[in-house]
Amino acid sequence: MFDLLHYGFMQRALLGSFLVGTVCSLIGVYVVLRGMAFMGDGIAHASFGGVTLGFLLGVNPLFTAIVFALGTAGLIQFARRRAQIRLDTAIGIFFSFTMALAILFIGLMRSYDARLYGYLFGNVLGMSSGNLVLTAALTVLVLAAIALFFKEFKFLSFDEEAARAAGLPTPLLSTLLLLLVALTIVVSIKAVGIILVASLLVAPAATAYQLTNRFGTMFFLSWLSGIISCLSGMFISYWLNIPSGASIVLVATLLFGIAAVFSPKRRPCKVCSDREGRVEV
Amino acid sequence: MPVVESDRAPDSPAIAFRNVSVAFPEAVGLEDVSFEVASGDFLAVIGPNGSGKTTLLRAILGLAKPVRGTVTVLGAGPTQARRHIGYVPQRMPFDPKFPVSVLDVALMGTYGALGILHAPNRSDKGRVMGMLEAVGLADVASHVAGHLSGGQQQRLLIARALVQQPQLLLLDEPTSGVDVANQKSIVELIRGLHDKLKLTTLFVTHDVNEVMPCLDKVLYLNRRVYAFGTCQDILNRKTLEELYQSPVLIVEQEGRPYVIVSDRHV
Repeated sequence: MFDLLHYGFMQRALLGSFLVGTVCSLIGVYVVLRGMAFMGDGIAHASFGGVTLGFLLGVNPLFTAIVFALGTAGLIQFARRRAQIRLDTAIGIFFSFTMALAILFIGLMRSYDARLYGYLFGNVLGMSSGNLVLTAALTVLVLAAIALFFKEFKFLSFDEEAARAAGLPTPLLSTLLLLLVALTIVVSIKAVGIILVASLLVAPAATAYQLTNRFGTMFFLSWLSGIISCLSGMFISYWLNIPSGASIVLVATLLFGIAAVFSPKRRPCKVCSDREGRVEV
Repeated sequence: MPVVESDRAPDSPAIAFRNVSVAFPEAVGLEDVSFEVASGDFLAVIGPNGSGKTTLLRAILGLAKPVRGTVTVLGAGPTQARRHIGYVPQRMPFDPKFPVSVLDVALMGTYGALGILHAPNRSDKGRVMGMLEAVGLADVASHVAGHLSGGQQQRLLIARALVQQPQLLLLDEPTSGVDVANQKSIVELIRGLHDKLKLTTLFVTHDVNEVMPCLDKVLYLNRRVYAFGTCQDILNRKTLEELYQSPVLIVEQEGRPYVIVSDRHV
């Protein structure tokens, strides 16, 4: 197995998997705690519109994907406030709209580009040095933002209204968090693919959620689950010759299943016996 | 139309509403509301459900913008004053699995003043533990916040609001969803802290009996200021009968007055 690591493509895949596993699992904690899973799915599909436009125009598809992901995240928020509709309705509208654009752009191409398959289903073994540099840069940016606003994001996730009343700039913080989720998705497209990236945002954090009652520990366990999924998924992808998105997400889901079965949170809590009017399940 | 006007205009009010109206697309929130609260007062805001009590608190915090009139809080606009206001929102039960401890939640009260890039230090944590002690939660500081009882969660929200070292404390139905024995102890706790920390306090409730015996002033709200004045002005049989348009009985039990309207509590 260690012989494999002499190959350049394998070194890039290893580093790429590590970066994607890290960034997805850490921002994923907020996605799970704030209930943004469908938003992640919507932004991932929106970025497919960007990828196809990149192919059509002959520019780096990840750059156009960033524009689409950020633009759609902004449009969803704008439409929700302006049209006073539920968040899931706004996501549903733009999810389909950007997919429709993607199909239109594919239709406008002279011939189908087989590289699109890699963006849809993930191909971590095919990461170029350019992909890796972009992934590393965006990962550093997302991690720096999480570190800078750690306590603010914690308050926002626990009680947004109280955070605003306490003087925190909650509209700004919640938009920033959304932008970070959008960037994370674009970073991860190459490894996991558009269709499955939302799962990597949710599954490691959901696994950690099953296992701990501590906020900081949830980040550590989520990260552990994220990199185990990405690294083992990458090797499975190589050995079985299947798209890496599938193997990564299958491992991540398996870890979640194990955590859910053995979750210590299922056990009765120590202080619940004297709670008024609440039944512990 | 106001039934009773306040007989005293304080020199520098902690809160001043002047002809304030707040409108929502689907309903009127507040209509032409004017009143002043002096520093150090304990004001009970009473009124039926849907009478705009929460909207009044949100206007003080600058979370609901008036379409008419002005709100002045601690001599400034609501947004500027926000950091000096402790807010105890109407309690929604915490997610029992949200991974935060009681101490974590109380520490959140320090975040607004700390600003970005600064984490609470040892002295902040000491102050927060002192506040948890004051509300009777020091023993469970390391427990999961969502595992606390309803009454304990309410005490925790009060501690979080007071950790901000506010001048003004706003409480939105702080005893809702709490059993009778705990309701009484929470009201006593709030009154004790109001005196000890020299706060100006707004206590919102739909049950006038919760704020009996009344301390300073009462605002009876029903989208408009229906009545505003001292306890003696409002919480007497004649005025209450005008407010409820029904016969009112005030009975005393264990030295505490209770208001009964017709055959029901209010």
